[in-house]
Amino acid sequence: MTSTDLKKGSAELLILSLLEREPRHGYELGRLIESRSRGALRFNVASLYPLLYRLEKRGWIQGRWVEKAGQRRRRYYRLTSEGKSVLRARRRSWSEFVEAVRRIVGAEYA
Amino acid sequence: MPDWKPEIRSRLADLDLDPVRSEEIVLELAQHLDDRYGELLGHGASEADARRVVLEELATGDVLRDELRRLERPADPAPPVLGKPVAGGWLNGLWGDVRFGLRSLRRSPGLTVVALLTLSLGIGANAAIFSVVNAVLLRPLPFREPGRLVAFWGSAPEMGIPVVNYPDALYVYFRTRSRVLDPLAAYSSYSVTLTGAGDPERLNTGTVTADFFRLLGATPQDGRTFLPEEEARDRNQVTVVSHGLWQRRFGGDPRIVGKALTLDGKPFTVVGIMRPGFDFPNRAELWIPLGTDPQSLGCWCFATTGRLAPGRNPQDAAREIARLSDDFWREREGKPRSDPDSTDAPKNLVFAEPLLRQLVGEVRTPLLVLLGAVAIVLLIACANIANLLLARATARGREVAVRCCLGAGPWRIVRQLLVESLILALAGAALGLALAYGSVQVLSGLVVERLPHLHELALDPAVLLFTLGVTLVTLMLFGLAPALRGARVDLQDAVKEGTRTTRGGRSRRLNDAFVVAQLALSLVLLVGAGLLLRSFQNLMTVDLGFRPENVLVGRVSLPYEANQEPAKGRAFYGQLLERVRGLPGVRTAGLTSNAPFSVGGNGQIFMIKGREPAPGQPNLVAAIRTVTPGYFAAVGTPLLRGRVIDETDTATGPQVAVVDETLARRFWPDANAVGAQVRLGDASSTNPWLTIVGVVASVKHGDVAEEALRYVYLPLSQGSAWSMDVVLRASSDPAALTGAMRREVQALDPTLPVYEVHTLEQAVARSLGTQRLTNRLLLAFAVTALLLAAVGIYGVMALGVSHRVNEFGIRLALGATPARVLGLVLGQGMRLVLLGLALGLAGAAGLTRFLGSLLFHVEPLDPVTFGAVALLLVAVACGACYLPARRATATDPLRALRYE
Repeated sequence: MTSTDLKKGSAELLILSLLEREPRHGYELGRLIESRSRGALRFNVASLYPLLYRLEKRGWIQGRWVEKAGQRRRRYYRLTSEGKSVLRARRRSWSEFVEAVRRIVGAEYA
Repeated sequence: MPDWKPEIRSRLADLDLDPVRSEEIVLELAQHLDDRYGELLGHGASEADARRVVLEELATGDVLRDELRRLERPADPAPPVLGKPVAGGWLNGLWGDVRFGLRSLRRSPGLTVVALLTLSLGIGANAAIFSVVNAVLLRPLPFREPGRLVAFWGSAPEMGIPVVNYPDALYVYFRTRSRVLDPLAAYSSYSVTLTGAGDPERLNTGTVTADFFRLLGATPQDGRTFLPEEEARDRNQVTVVSHGLWQRRFGGDPRIVGKALTLDGKPFTVVGIMRPGFDFPNRAELWIPLGTDPQSLGCWCFATTGRLAPGRNPQDAAREIARLSDDFWREREGKPRSDPDSTDAPKNLVFAEPLLRQLVGEVRTPLLVLLGAVAIVLLIACANIANLLLARATARGREVAVRCCLGAGPWRIVRQLLVESLILALAGAALGLALAYGSVQVLSGLVVERLPHLHELALDPAVLLFTLGVTLVTLMLFGLAPALRGARVDLQDAVKEGTRTTRGGRSRRLNDAFVVAQLALSLVLLVGAGLLLRSFQNLMTVDLGFRPENVLVGRVSLPYEANQEPAKGRAFYGQLLERVRGLPGVRTAGLTSNAPFSVGGNGQIFMIKGREPAPGQPNLVAAIRTVTPGYFAAVGTPLLRGRVIDETDTATGPQVAVVDETLARRFWPDANAVGAQVRLGDASSTNPWLTIVGVVASVKHGDVAEEALRYVYLPLSQGSAWSMDVVLRASSDPAALTGAMRREVQALDPTLPVYEVHTLEQAVARSLGTQRLTNRLLLAFAVTALLLAAVGIYGVMALGVSHRVNEFGIRLALGATPARVLGLVLGQGMRLVLLGLALGLAGAAGLTRFLGSLLFHVEPLDPVTFGAVALLLVAVACGACYLPARRATATDPLRALRYE
């Protein structure tokens, strides 16, 4: 797995995770990733939306125009059932990966 | 809040997205940018800074566009896999081919633009020249059954008269006896002065026999045409007016029929108004009956034309007229003028050909030559485009191979490639027609006005049809070979990863063949243009026998009765001469019955004292000009021996004549003609003998290229004239004297118009007009052809070099010097050039004889022209080969080898 693949894979994981609880729109997703990573991860408009469209195309998420009171029409993305199972699988392999890294890295400094 | 949408749209523009999807993305991204902008402002950024940051984020490394390109399907599906069954039949698949063709042409804009320009030039030139050919040569004359109208005339080459019209006696004889031609009409055109209603005006007039209108199917819109009895000389005071004149001069008043007009001072009763559009001969505005006298041989000046009886052809007519002509002379003189069994007797030759052909005689050959030239240009253009497409077909080998692997049959591939060519051809034709439309406007302004119907020059359906035909032929020529070649790829080779596109021997040979053909064709065209240019050069240096600079000519005609009273005419012209001589700005002035390069002037029989022809021998013929003192100085014809006609030659003095050098040298090659005596008329004539007092230089009379006629000049004081050209030599701009000349004439007689006013230079230039235009056009076509051929050979050599780049690298790496590589490439190019040269020279040698009648003092196989053109072509081709050859020597061996 190259670093690009890793980054791409992790970005997908981030989006899927953030959509697990509730539908969100693109801007909100970008803000959440930035704030929860304390600024370490940032997406701008040019990188975020192609990612969303790709996930949507794969059928993992689904975008829908929603009009909420007092707000303008926005496109909200929600996790599909296929997306949910992908998220589960990704989480598992991610945990395994992190655990493996921790064991190696942690062992060195243990 | 800034509007981000235009910015976003521009970034998505070339992605070819489905429009609905595209707008959705734009909306979503714009909202995101709004939020981001607001956020930045909230953090204290200025509006300008916020805007800049937002746009920078949008633009980041073109990520958006690249990612979206990968993700989003373009509006059109990927190219249909050729060969798979298409729902909706072949037409549906064709539409797919068209769209695919358009896209693939758009992908190589350079090639498309070059091909379109080349094609539009080629097709446009063809359409333009064809529109002239169509209007002048092909479109039938606007007469009844024009295909059966035949013009005929005699010829007496042994008398130096290539074309001779007939006198009324012969016409009447023919008319009453011909079985091949019925009806048969005679006509001639001149001009008359209309006075009475408004200013005096000179009008083009046809004198025509009664059958003339019936022959041509010209029916009057009101009244009638002429009755047979109105051909009698005392009954012919009637006239038919043209529709144009009726409208213009008489305000369309129908009561004009039955009224009298004053023509040349005599009353003529209007009997009819012609239908609109009929103005034959020579844009006539009036017609009056031709008085025919069955005995008169006075004026050999009537054009004759007739309608062929069913099943007969022009040759039948010529044979019959020749036989009738013999019968006529046998009845009249007891012997025929032509004797088919005798070789020394003069022959009455008769020629007959379709009327249309006779009317357009002088422009027929130049037009056909030009049509041939544009066809050659188009062929060369086709070869160029074929080469371009061939190169592209080779470069697209892998694309084609993939399609073949996916199941496309060769026919589908050929069709796809042909459709691309079709798109090119049709677009080229559309551009070409636009070009032709422009050129036709220019052409109709430039081409001499004597052509019948040239005012109707237009891009009519025939031209459009022709253009369509040319386009399709063009398409076949440039599209077929590359398409067939393109469909034949080596699948294994082409699909293999890393194999560079191959260029097989067959494809190269095809390229080479096109180049050879181009070179050969452009050589043919260049030789043609070269020969015509040399002819023109010769024409320009011909000694005209007069100096046309600063000379103004204007014609003044007295009413016809002046003929009956020669003294009155002489007095009038004498006064006129005195008056114009005194005009400021006039250096010298003189009058002549016909100035050089003006219409008219007939040959007459004359005899030399002591050399009267024996019975059966041909009579001598010379052109007769009546002149006043001062004429030779005014026109600039130099005196060679003796003296010119001057004031001492009075009506009562000795009868004198001046002859020209051609006549003098013909009859007195070793002796002085001055002092010899001549007489007008044949053996039976009672005219007085005239003593030759001077010899002047020979003068070209109507055409620079003509053989000079023999001239006899007579003093006006001893003869008569009722129509003279006033010739003024000015000290500066002659045209400025026009008004003064008119004023002097009006002062003598306010009813006389001055007409056909022109400078001699204009007249000479006009006589060269057709040649000048032909030359310019042909030269332009030849240069175009040369450029196209140069581009063609350059392209092929460059392609060859780029495909052999590693070969050259290896050669250079193995120690070949750049000079050797240069020689190798140049040598290969030169082989093509020499082959093209050989074929072109052979072709030119075969074709230039068609130029024969257009050449002047240049042989069709003129070695100078052939040599110079061959050198030019070699030089240009060398240049075109040299550039790629230089590139070959600059190959970096390492770089070239790295590809291996």
